[in-house]
Amino acid sequence: MEKSWYSIFKTFFKVGTLLLGGGYVILPLLTSELVEKKKWITSEELCEYYALGASLPGIIAVNTAIFTGRKLLGTVGAFAATVGMVLPAFLAIVLLAAILSEIIANSYIQHIFWGVGIGVIVLLFLAVKEMWKKSVTDKFSMLVYGVCLLLALWGKIPLAVIIIGALFAGVFWQKIKDRRGGIK
Amino acid sequence: MLYLKLFLQFFHVGVFSFGGGYATLPFLYDIAEKYHWYSAKQLTDMLALSSITPGPVGVNVATFAGYTTSGILGALIATTSIILPSFIIVTIVSKALDKFRTNKYVKAGISALKSAGCALLSAVGIKLLFTSNLHLFGTILLIALLIMSFIKKRDPLFYLGVSAVAGLVIGSLNWIGV
Repeated sequence: MEKSWYSIFKTFFKVGTLLLGGGYVILPLLTSELVEKKKWITSEELCEYYALGASLPGIIAVNTAIFTGRKLLGTVGAFAATVGMVLPAFLAIVLLAAILSEIIANSYIQHIFWGVGIGVIVLLFLAVKEMWKKSVTDKFSMLVYGVCLLLALWGKIPLAVIIIGALFAGVFWQKIKDRRGGIK
Repeated sequence: MLYLKLFLQFFHVGVFSFGGGYATLPFLYDIAEKYHWYSAKQLTDMLALSSITPGPVGVNVATFAGYTTSGILGALIATTSIILPSFIIVTIVSKALDKFRTNKYVKAGISALKSAGCALLSAVGIKLLFTSNLHLFGTILLIALLIMSFIKKRDPLFYLGVSAVAGLVIGSLNWIGV
């Protein structure tokens, strides 16, 4: 499919509409739409955008959309992706704002909400599996994964610090490898 | 003046919230205390609602706060201003990355970054697993969906749809006592 601003907008609008559960499932949704169906980007690229998106300030899903849109069609693409992704959220809230408290109190909605929460966990698990295949490839990346997971679960360190720490660890590891190579 | 205040406050959230989604929360509670555009109770309701409405939590709350204070224009301003910092920062970072992408240290850094990203996502999943009230039927639903995912690759919409319907059915029959 051709990458016009409109097709990008449409694709992200769909992803934005399906983005239930607060934004966590952005990765599986984008994988399904952009990597598998449209084949616009590779799974590796998407993983990179997600990781970068998580390490910069702002909303992760939005950051990931901007990175991806930029890759597809420069600034126009970034704009189309962002608007497409945010518009469903915007419209839903504007339409529902007036009856917000009634909705929350409705027991049927609560049941659906409970069920969707489980669906979100499944999607997250699938996203982790996919990302694991692309990122944890050797002993060093396994170590980075383990340390970051423990720190994130501990919850005392800001996530951005963990991610930036990993970035520096990667650079440092490359330096060590270079030095070893130099001795040989 | 109100519009300018809305813009400044949500722009501030966009610049300083690292870690996405729930990282915006402390800032949003802070705004509730300072400006009374929405109450803390409304914000909590909003969070519950944002899991069944489309879009990221941060966007949902910004839209809601803007809308309750000054209607559709307010909603538009608040939503735009929470996203604007991302737009600027991501543009700068991706330009810089394109320049240095072939550098082996940058490559090594990004590769470690991906492992860290995977770890953070795993942590979110684990935390959700322990904070959602799964009960017996929720656990069965979770395992059933996972088994289905191993058998055949499916569209994300499938899992969301099935779990929504299952939630409605299980909940309505009062099996889980919600």
